[in-house]
Amino acid sequence: MRRRDFIRDAAAAGLALRFGPRVFAGQKATVGPLPALAAVEGESPAAITREALSLLGGMGRFVGRGDKVVIKPNIGWDRTPEMAACTNPEVVKTLVELVLGAGAKKAVVIDNTTNQAKRCYVRSGIQAAVEQAGGDMLFVDDYRVKKMALKGEWLKEWEILLDVVEADKIINVPIAKHHSLCRLTLGAKNWLGATGGARNQFHQSLDKTVVDLAAFFKPQLTVLDAYRILVRNGPQGGRVSDTELRKTVIAGTDPVAVDAFGASLFGVATNELPYLGLARERGLGEPDLGKVRLEKRKI
Amino acid sequence: MKKERSRKYRNLERLRILSQAVFFGLYLYLLLGAHYTGADYIGSTVQRFFHFDPLLALVTIVSARLVYAYFVFSLVTVVATLLFGRFFCGWVCPLGALHQFSSFVFKRTKFLKPPREDKASLAPKYYILIAVLAGAVFGLDLAGYLDPFSFLTRSLSVAVLPSLAQAISSLNGVLYGLGVTGLARSISQASTNWAINTTFVQGFSIGLVFLGAIALNARKERFWCRYLCPAGALLGLLSRWNLLKLRIDDEKCIKCGLCTQHCETQAHPYPNDKWKSGECVYCMDCASICPTAAIGFRLSARPEKLTNVSNVDLSRRKLLLTTLLGMVAVPFFRLTPSHKRASLKLIRPPGSLDEPKFLAKCVKCGQCMRACPTGGLQPVLTEAGPEGIYTPMLVPKIGYCEYYCSLCTQVCPTGAIRKLTIEEKNKVKMGTAWVNKSRCIPYVLGKPCIVCEEHCPVSPKAIKLVEVETKLPDGSVAVQKAPVVDIELCTGCGICENKCPVMDDPAIFVTSVGETRSQTNRLLLDISSGSAEDPYK
Repeated sequence: MRRRDFIRDAAAAGLALRFGPRVFAGQKATVGPLPALAAVEGESPAAITREALSLLGGMGRFVGRGDKVVIKPNIGWDRTPEMAACTNPEVVKTLVELVLGAGAKKAVVIDNTTNQAKRCYVRSGIQAAVEQAGGDMLFVDDYRVKKMALKGEWLKEWEILLDVVEADKIINVPIAKHHSLCRLTLGAKNWLGATGGARNQFHQSLDKTVVDLAAFFKPQLTVLDAYRILVRNGPQGGRVSDTELRKTVIAGTDPVAVDAFGASLFGVATNELPYLGLARERGLGEPDLGKVRLEKRKI
Repeated sequence: MKKERSRKYRNLERLRILSQAVFFGLYLYLLLGAHYTGADYIGSTVQRFFHFDPLLALVTIVSARLVYAYFVFSLVTVVATLLFGRFFCGWVCPLGALHQFSSFVFKRTKFLKPPREDKASLAPKYYILIAVLAGAVFGLDLAGYLDPFSFLTRSLSVAVLPSLAQAISSLNGVLYGLGVTGLARSISQASTNWAINTTFVQGFSIGLVFLGAIALNARKERFWCRYLCPAGALLGLLSRWNLLKLRIDDEKCIKCGLCTQHCETQAHPYPNDKWKSGECVYCMDCASICPTAAIGFRLSARPEKLTNVSNVDLSRRKLLLTTLLGMVAVPFFRLTPSHKRASLKLIRPPGSLDEPKFLAKCVKCGQCMRACPTGGLQPVLTEAGPEGIYTPMLVPKIGYCEYYCSLCTQVCPTGAIRKLTIEEKNKVKMGTAWVNKSRCIPYVLGKPCIVCEEHCPVSPKAIKLVEVETKLPDGSVAVQKAPVVDIELCTGCGICENKCPVMDDPAIFVTSVGETRSQTNRLLLDISSGSAEDPYK
């Protein structure tokens, strides 16, 4: 199944679930339509990731048999998990397991890192976790970066990792962190790691950049790791005291709603993050959590 | 008389070739392994070879007036040479193996036709040795330029491996073009994994010198070992008393002269009394090639006459003169201004000793440049004076110092860079970052940026943001967050300079001032006296 087909089918399924007879929600025991957003709190990063996904209707809803799935965590920094600079390796590992369990042919994990790639892959613990789960860790390959038309409002074209865009399905797995320019780095800013080129120029208009990138990549699923969040000295921290434990994973089909929920963990209101408003205008999602079907759970 | 080559010596020759191959392979394996393997501490790699080198041991200990314990291994080589001669050159030395192999290739392709008898003087290497030793007495470490391990490691790290990596990368492009994506992908993943730096400011010249040294073998077999190598010269002097002697059986010898013609190092096996134990590397070629098996090596305690050690007349008068010349040359190295004032771009690797001691210990082998994960460590050309050529310095525009990395300190063979844990290393200040407000985007253009602040690895960050007002060309005023450096927190790692979007001349840059290792290149008195702990005490 191609991505475009999937989006069409998913949209159709979404409409059907919203307006159609109850029978479509069939196999799941939940009463009522599936939520667009699931936030689960608990001790084990793996367990809360699993629970969040099952609240959304299971990985089978997103991944088809034989799919090549790309999981894009934040592995930007040469930091250990307790520094909360990179996505929790347990969360990534669980997603690889779920993706492969749903029948995917391949689960590829890739990020264009800021520090030396191998150092980031190793120290973040993500390489070991992914390989354990049977996924493929891929370094960015210069020959697999290509300038593409993004058709964005600000970014007309940019270097993009082919390994990400050529996948059948994309899952965005950011970590919730402080950032001194865009205040927080959540799901949308995580797409910087799927680009190449002179990324340090994005900062001259970061809010527009992240919206254009989010519009281009259109993930099927966003899983925000807020198990341990970085509250200062972002986006890489450096001390455990820069982090706070929130033991939460937020999964959703609406990437804007996921980011809005992530912001609430920092006590940051939606209107304080200008890119969320821009994203809504572009029709990427709904930052007003009151308008989103949200399922919260504690395990 | 029965004409038959000696089977025993042919086998010994094969064994020698095997030994060279094994040591060369081991050397290459260790050199390739001297990088970030996934472990923070990589143990001993190729520097172990250096510790067996008596020349480096002698010169760095004398010039720095500091004993470095690992050089105890060089005594093994000394004792072995005293007993059995320069077999180290013929059986162990990886550069010797390379020279011998290329000589062999040149001979086979008829580029090199050895003369019946070569009478060229073998003196240059002894003069080089004497000059190096005389320099060492005055604290000048010149051994690294021509020492075989330093020369080979530097050439491979800075020129040969990088150019190979580039070639592989271009080949990969072709593979992708041809649609062989599976293979191309594995190659690119593997080369990212090996992290071979491909950008070196002097890669071209160092590569040319290396190719030149190899090309000389087309003129004379093992040209380097015969005429240039100071380590070989030192071992040659030591081998004067060695027990392993070449003997020609006069009854079998047919005086064909093949042995002398094909001697790799001009040791002159025939006639027997002209054989020079100080030049022989025990390659076994002569004994193997001899059509009547007349040549053999036997143990004998009779010392050689000094003239037999080499064809060089090392008379007292000449020795004194060259020593004197060497000493006279030393002050020329000291005319450089870098001895008076620190050079602003000379950012030494973390853990480097104070500049005079560093120069006295560094053997310019380039292992730190091989190990550096970002490729920021580069060979110096002018910044450190004539004795500092090929010593390492951090060039942040090319690569920065990774926060959790202390590999360069782990691979240094002489302790010119002190071995540091990552925690110790992060207390070392290599230099200080400065903002060039006339180029910085928020300061000048009034646009947001903060890239340097975002990348600053210390916590709390050494780069703080303040709001500044910028007058724009149209007269309006923009307010943006702009970087300010907290000098006490800055370690001089250079990631800010490396990532600055102002590409040509970064708007934030690191200079050496404030470096922990220096008492004179200080910035503020309270930095070195106060909280910033000295990791060397």
